[in-house]
Amino acid sequence: MKEDYIKIILADDDEDDRLFFTDAFDELKINTRVQTFKDGIYLMNYLNEDNVVLPNVLFLDLNMPRKSGLECLKEIKKDPKFIDIAIAIYSTSASEEDIEKTFVMGANIYIKKPSDFKTLKKVLSEVVTINWQYHTNGLNKENFLLRL
Amino acid sequence: MTLHLKFDFNAICKKVLNDKLNEHQIKHKIIGFGEVEILEKLSDEKLKNFSEDLKEYHIDIVENQKSILIQKIKDAIIDMVFNEDTTTNLKASAYLSDKLGHSYGYLSNLFSEVTYTSIENFIILQKIEYTKQLIINENLSLTEIAFKLNYSSVAHLSTQFKNTTGITPSAFQRIITKRRELKQ
Amino acid sequence: MPARILKKSWFIKSIFFISAFIILVIGGITYRNIEDLNKSSELLTETYELNFKLEQIFSHLKDAETGQLGFIITNDPAFLKPYESGRENINNSFAELKELTKDNSALQDSLKTLNVLIDKRMDSFLKSFRFSSVGNYNDPNFRENFLYGKNLMDTIRSKITAMIDRENQTLNERQQAYESNLKVTPFFLYLVLLVSLLLMFLAYNKIISDLGKLKTYNEQLEIFKESTKQSEVISQHGNWILDIEENTFTFSDNLYRLLGEEPQSFKPTLENFYGYVHPEDLDKLEKEVHKMIKNENLPFIYYRIIQKNGTIKHFKAYAKLHVNDDGKKQLLGITTDITDEIEHYRILEERNQELERNNKELSAFNYVASHDLQEPLRKIQTFLSRLEDKEYDTLSDSGKRYIGRINIASSRMRLLIDDLLQFSRTNKTDKVFKITDINSLLEAAKQDLAELISEDNAVIKADDFPAINVIPFQIQQLFSNLISNSLKYKSQERTPEIHITYTKIKASEDDKLTKPKKAYYHKITFTDNGIGFDNTYAEKIFVLFNRLHNKDEYSGTGIGLSICKKIVENHEGYIMANGQPHIGATFTIYLPA
Repeated sequence: MKEDYIKIILADDDEDDRLFFTDAFDELKINTRVQTFKDGIYLMNYLNEDNVVLPNVLFLDLNMPRKSGLECLKEIKKDPKFIDIAIAIYSTSASEEDIEKTFVMGANIYIKKPSDFKTLKKVLSEVVTINWQYHTNGLNKENFLLRL
Repeated sequence: MTLHLKFDFNAICKKVLNDKLNEHQIKHKIIGFGEVEILEKLSDEKLKNFSEDLKEYHIDIVENQKSILIQKIKDAIIDMVFNEDTTTNLKASAYLSDKLGHSYGYLSNLFSEVTYTSIENFIILQKIEYTKQLIINENLSLTEIAFKLNYSSVAHLSTQFKNTTGITPSAFQRIITKRRELKQ
Repeated sequence: MPARILKKSWFIKSIFFISAFIILVIGGITYRNIEDLNKSSELLTETYELNFKLEQIFSHLKDAETGQLGFIITNDPAFLKPYESGRENINNSFAELKELTKDNSALQDSLKTLNVLIDKRMDSFLKSFRFSSVGNYNDPNFRENFLYGKNLMDTIRSKITAMIDRENQTLNERQQAYESNLKVTPFFLYLVLLVSLLLMFLAYNKIISDLGKLKTYNEQLEIFKESTKQSEVISQHGNWILDIEENTFTFSDNLYRLLGEEPQSFKPTLENFYGYVHPEDLDKLEKEVHKMIKNENLPFIYYRIIQKNGTIKHFKAYAKLHVNDDGKKQLLGITTDITDEIEHYRILEERNQELERNNKELSAFNYVASHDLQEPLRKIQTFLSRLEDKEYDTLSDSGKRYIGRINIASSRMRLLIDDLLQFSRTNKTDKVFKITDINSLLEAAKQDLAELISEDNAVIKADDFPAINVIPFQIQQLFSNLISNSLKYKSQERTPEIHITYTKIKASEDDKLTKPKKAYYHKITFTDNGIGFDNTYAEKIFVLFNRLHNKDEYSGTGIGLSICKKIVENHEGYIMANGQPHIGATFTIYLPA
């Protein structure tokens, strides 16, 4: 009850997308704390800090300079301390094969960035809700796959 | 080597609770998923120690009346979905109000308020989760699962699966299989 | 041809042997005849001698008798002389006769009887002497004895005559036998000679005709040799022969030319040849040649040579063992100058690579363009939605109208970009084929379009499909594009129905497949009851950005069916459309089985 908020992190090199993202969560009536990073290096450095509060959901853009979303995904999946983080790929459209590949690599969620704000809000709220369901109802996270 | 495990969370929780209660020498009776009847008067300190101990397992003692009711709704739904014996042909709404002694409207509003989702969605989510379990652990075909979960048709189940998860049941199976192959 | 000549030589050989045998037989027969002739004359002499001796004995007897008679008459002992000498002569002649007739038992017997008779006669002579010496010629005993002597004499005479006659008769018989033999022999010899002459004539004839054929063959061989020489020059190859036992080479003229030398300008040895081989390939070639001599076979090998003027040529060589009738082993080799071939191949390869590069660049460009175009467009749309949400009320009417138009235009652009991206993806993605249950792909495609299908109450009926080797994602895309195409161009008058059928066909039995690459195909048809189209556009509808309808009537980019075509082509299959206006359309897909 004491830490009754959901921690969200987004890594995306696009400033506009980061803006839409934070705006959307601001408008949602969910108690969240959103943090953004502009590439994979910044993200991974943060996650590997001592005493860091790990996010409930981590949103990864695939195309980022220096370290791509897929590279981050690989690193995170290798490290057992990140096992509780739900990973959402947050990207411009990709082929069906590429989407399946990210799931196989361990992503839980794949979001195609929507082209209007309302949809964005809806999608993000759905992600948080379902993740919360998994979290609170002891559902098997192994089976957590969601595509929006 | 990778072992693929199958859990019964219900049983695990019950076992943990039972062990902990015995450890703290609390007379009790476990009623159902997430509900324990304490058969003695507990001191605040004893309750606090017990609750601290349970934190380790991420088990919280829910005090709030509303929360208790929500938990009861969830229990009822999970029981309805996962336990074939209690599977009824009744509508979920009738089943819940019947079981919990509140009007469905009240339960529904309360549920949405606290959980950010509706009872209907929760039921669907649970059914789909059960479907996932059956696909992976029991290797059941979609037809068998649809029958088991009282769906009117395979198409219905398949559509609901797709709508809930965004992927088709076969894609789901493919992904999980590939993941396991990758780990080995 | 050589086999036939070989057969003929056997024929001639056998004729020779037969003739030799016949001559041998003739010699044998002649020898035997001469032998016979000799024997017959010997026999004649023998018989004459025998007869003579018999006559002689008789004449001695007669002499003795005459002497006796003379003594009796004259009583002069001088007359006894012939009797006494006769007696001796008879004994001598008898001994000779015995010697002569020792091989003839019949004659010996006769001689014995004769001897007894003669002895008796001699006794009678002696008795007569006794009587005559006392002179009583009238003594009856004397008379009797005298008569007895005369009788004996007659008997001896007849006996000798009989013997002579018999000898003469056997002589005659033998003579006759030899004569008949001698009569037949010349005729037989003549016949045999004739036969052997005939055979020799046949053999001669054969030899002559074979010689004629041999000449023709020789001429043909000469022509063949000439044409080989020409073909060597034209197709740039040279022949060589390695005599395995003697380890000597023969090079054809053109092989010298291939090395850039005058024909037969150096001794055809390996060492001399190695002098031309590219240093980098020398080791390899030497090893191969070593192997070739050991294995008596040379598979295709490739190496380079350097001509004296520095030109590098690529050679390809091949040799096969040839064993002639005498068991002589030769490796017959061909060395070809493949420099031009390699050069052409290299150019082709380069062009191919260039083409591939261009294609890759093009599809990469397509992909990047459509992918990266999405981003700014998405932002435009998102900002637009923000603007609508937050600032809509502050906008003027025309401002609101403009926003509406921008929305429509950007939506259309999104559709275009999405389709284009999908199109380029069908090119870009790796073509991973997998045996896949087609039913599940169709089910997934229906799942993708579930909303549209239930909105239109569309009925989709499909045959059962087998598992086929396909690129699963692409086939699902194909199905989903075809179904959505049918739903998009549905007839307003009836609920849409799509029938999907499956058959496995033999390419040769399907008249629509004009140039099939495979023998069998999976034929899948999608038949709908939509608005159909005029069949003159049956091919055009697959062309990128081609649309049969105004975009105000039917939304669409003209890419969907192009994607279908691309996907089917990725599977090396065919897709065809057949439309009937206001009745429906059929799309037929052929996937290689």
